[in-house]
Amino acid sequence: MPVFKTPFNGYSVKFSPFYESRLAVATAQNFGILGNGRVHILDLPPTPSSPFVELASFETADGVYDVAWSESHDSLLVAAVADGSLKIYDLSLPPTSNPIRSLHEHSREVQSVDYNPVRRDSFISSSWDDSIKLWTLDRPTSIRSFQEHAYCVYAAVWNPRHADVFASASGDCTLRVWDVREPGSTMVVAAHEFEILSCDWNKYDDCVIATASVDKSVRVWDIRTYRTPLAVLNGHGYAVRKVKFSPHNRSFLVSCSYDMTVCAWDYMVEDARIGQYGHHTEFAVGVDMSVLVEGLIASTGWDELVYVWQYGTDPRAP
Amino acid sequence: MDMRDLVTGGAACAVPGSSSSSSNPLAALANTLIGSSSKIQENKEIPTSITPGSERQIYTQTNDHLGALDQPFVDPNAPQHSDFLRGFHGSGGGGQTELDAAWNDIHPPPPPPQLDHIYDTHPQQPILDGPPQRMLSSLLHSFVDSSRGGVPFRATPLPVLGLSEGDKQCIRDRSSIMARHIFADKSEDFINAQVNALLCSLDIDGDARAKGPLPGRFRELEDYWNESQGTLKPGFHAADGWVAEFNQQRMVHGANGWASEFEQQHGANGWASEFEQSQLTSVDQMRGSNISSLAAMEQTRMLANTLAQNDDPKFQNSKFLQFVSKMSRGELIIDDNQVKQTALPAAGDWASEYQHQYNRSPAWADEFLSHGPDQWVNEFTTEREQHGPVDDQWVSEFSKLHVHDWADEFGRQVGEGALGENSTDNWANAYDEFLNEQVAARQRSDTSRGVYVFSDMNPYVGHPNPLKEGQELFRKGLLSEAVLALEAEVLKNPDNAEGWRLLGIAHAENDDDQQAIAAMLRAQEADSTNLEVLLALGVSHTNELEQAAALKYLYGWLRHHPKYGSLASPELSDSLYYADVARLFNEAAQMSPDDADVHIVLGVLYNLTREYDKAIESFQTALKLKPHDYSLWNKLGATQANSVHSADAIFAYQQALDLKPNYVRAWANMGISYANQGMYEDSIRYYVRALAMNPKADNAWQYLRISLSCASRDDMLEACDSRNLDVLQKEFPL
Repeated sequence: MPVFKTPFNGYSVKFSPFYESRLAVATAQNFGILGNGRVHILDLPPTPSSPFVELASFETADGVYDVAWSESHDSLLVAAVADGSLKIYDLSLPPTSNPIRSLHEHSREVQSVDYNPVRRDSFISSSWDDSIKLWTLDRPTSIRSFQEHAYCVYAAVWNPRHADVFASASGDCTLRVWDVREPGSTMVVAAHEFEILSCDWNKYDDCVIATASVDKSVRVWDIRTYRTPLAVLNGHGYAVRKVKFSPHNRSFLVSCSYDMTVCAWDYMVEDARIGQYGHHTEFAVGVDMSVLVEGLIASTGWDELVYVWQYGTDPRAP
Repeated sequence: MDMRDLVTGGAACAVPGSSSSSSNPLAALANTLIGSSSKIQENKEIPTSITPGSERQIYTQTNDHLGALDQPFVDPNAPQHSDFLRGFHGSGGGGQTELDAAWNDIHPPPPPPQLDHIYDTHPQQPILDGPPQRMLSSLLHSFVDSSRGGVPFRATPLPVLGLSEGDKQCIRDRSSIMARHIFADKSEDFINAQVNALLCSLDIDGDARAKGPLPGRFRELEDYWNESQGTLKPGFHAADGWVAEFNQQRMVHGANGWASEFEQQHGANGWASEFEQSQLTSVDQMRGSNISSLAAMEQTRMLANTLAQNDDPKFQNSKFLQFVSKMSRGELIIDDNQVKQTALPAAGDWASEYQHQYNRSPAWADEFLSHGPDQWVNEFTTEREQHGPVDDQWVSEFSKLHVHDWADEFGRQVGEGALGENSTDNWANAYDEFLNEQVAARQRSDTSRGVYVFSDMNPYVGHPNPLKEGQELFRKGLLSEAVLALEAEVLKNPDNAEGWRLLGIAHAENDDDQQAIAAMLRAQEADSTNLEVLLALGVSHTNELEQAAALKYLYGWLRHHPKYGSLASPELSDSLYYADVARLFNEAAQMSPDDADVHIVLGVLYNLTREYDKAIESFQTALKLKPHDYSLWNKLGATQANSVHSADAIFAYQQALDLKPNYVRAWANMGISYANQGMYEDSIRYYVRALAMNPKADNAWQYLRISLSCASRDDMLEACDSRNLDVLQKEFPL
């Protein structure tokens, strides 16, 4: 499968929910510690042997840590920028007109952004300023700020079924579940002893959520019985940076880690780790699974490479 | 289903239409109370009205895809769709439906078509591309390539980079947060020290870190306070009236609402523990910002070792890991920084070698570790004197005067109680002591380098044959006693090369390198061709990474050797190059492959150029010929530790200890290897054992202190600082 070389260090990769061959990549210079950022929009080539087609790229004054496609418009995407801003880009407009919005409320780095897949009119961002903010495209300011975490919020992810429910993963070692209609968080799960860097909802069971932590493990939780995890997935050698449930298989998930590998898991079987990919040569920090093509995985890392491959094949195979 | 269930259920699976177009809280309330049942009857298909410009054909293009999307995601009637999350909402008090309404109201009205341009008032932010950026970029990346070729690194005063305050803040914050992910196994102290060293090397003021890594603690409390006061917080979009409602509701909850809420989340003692935590944090931060780079760099050295311990070659090659550890050690280079190179010819080389030694060679090159930082200071102080008033913050930062001033200042602050409770006092005292030790050590090295210091009370003075006694004691492994006897010998016969040599070896094995070198120098004065003395001096200078001196002695060994003397041509000795000497020894090794000594010297030589694999091979060859040479096992172990095979090193040290149980240096080296693997508790036991055998081994005391701190055994720091071995041995039996 093809490989794309980004000038900066990769931070996040997301498949478009509209086009099976399209993906967006968030990158940051100097490992995101200092420098510019860039969002790349890529199209998979028709034949695996040809290179990626870069449709567009947008440069920012600070690193881009995450990107999310709009669920309502195929040309819109939101970038989470390290300077605390969210930038909205419209691919159908020329580069000079982009970004069409810059929403600057977070006082620190924005680490994640997620588009509401049910209502499709809003998105949430999570930041190192310990807050989560709720936004719509049509407002210049956030609708609400959720401020309970005591440390950086590394991820905030909408529930795939309930339009009002989302979960957040924080460096304060808690996972929180929120209902936008409630004043405070509905649930606090002390999911790990160490910082939690990522979380994702199961797409088939709306009460199941996976967390990824600095403690090197991925844990799967049923929030109805949140005292003990359903599964503890060990196998990464360093902090797990992202975790993602499959849109096509209820027990399948992928994760990427500072151990430079991407792992595939089936949390319902005993030997849960069903695949490990060592194709990255630096920290693997971004991973996604295609909604439109079953088994298609994309990953990026600080080796400045973007890989797309079918589960079961070698990402590096030509 | 009562009304509130309907409301909840409705909101969970459908977006309300735009009929209730109210941003008025009362209307919203009314809507919730009266009109809510009508809401759920509304469309289940999603009317996404956010189209920025209706001329776009997004919908028609993408309907198929959306259909596909809906399949797994949005099917409210699917059997596995649990009521649990729906149950979330509706378990609370009556006022909460107002929030519901507010959330439901956000959706309409549809944006005007010119939306694209409304908020476009943000000018495009300038893209960083000035010289500083490029400079930093090359800084961050170039060390990677140069590290492999053994090219010396030069510490760079960062004003060259001209980092702005904002840049510095970014580096400060981001590196601390990332460090916490990557070095999660390590203690907080460890990470703080690491980050602090990084900031030091980048000339970034650590004090401002108060805003850095753990910003939320106090503010969270403030937020609760603010909320309890009913203060409107800026940043909320008030247009929806949502904020007002929210605050109203808070008021209804009563003034204690915030307290109970907080208690709910954090437990009854949450507030107190939170506060405690934040206090601890600020202490940590204080420590992080104040501890001198001397201590920080020592800790970073161990961190780098631990990191490098991962055997995965991918990790060894990771540019990022090298980046972090290099930065944290201050090993920053800019390729084209010629100015610095010419201005600091010696210091530059020295600094890089010192860094290297600090980084990788605790065991092998532990000879002058404790004095290293002071040499550093001296080097820079001298440098400053030579070049007159160099207005360089970095240099003055490390000058001796400054350290003193600063220490005083710190002491005064403590005296005034500025730092609060006794735990801080303890820490401050310990740190003062540590500083004093550093200063004392430096003074010692100033005055007494190369000068042998005799013990005060020596019972062996007047002994009829102290040399024989000393040899006997040395053979028995009673090193400290042997030292006394041999001192008596050389006091009696100052020209006895063998007496001085054995004294030097006894000191080396007792882990006291200052004395070892001083003794060896005297031995060489007495007998300039003694092969063992020459070899020992070659090794000592290798430990110091003083290549020229090491080459001189090793070449001398070759020249004076009866078998290989012919290989060495006299004219070579004027200008020794590493390659020539290495070639000569390789020839010697071919000449007589069964001479273990040649292989030993080769091993030492390879250590000079950090070709550890070759060095290990040479020592292993030598060990086949001399399997009972404990010092050779120790050399092998130290080399393995240097080449980050700390686990192998432990085996080698164990061999050395089996052969010679009182080998203090091997005990201490064993501790270092465990520490390098992050096994701090184990390392402590070995250090304590080494110190019990020779309490004068200053290096081991310092290592012990670091391991205690890394193992979060701050409770034993006092015993360490007061050198209370009884307590330590009781606490850490081996």
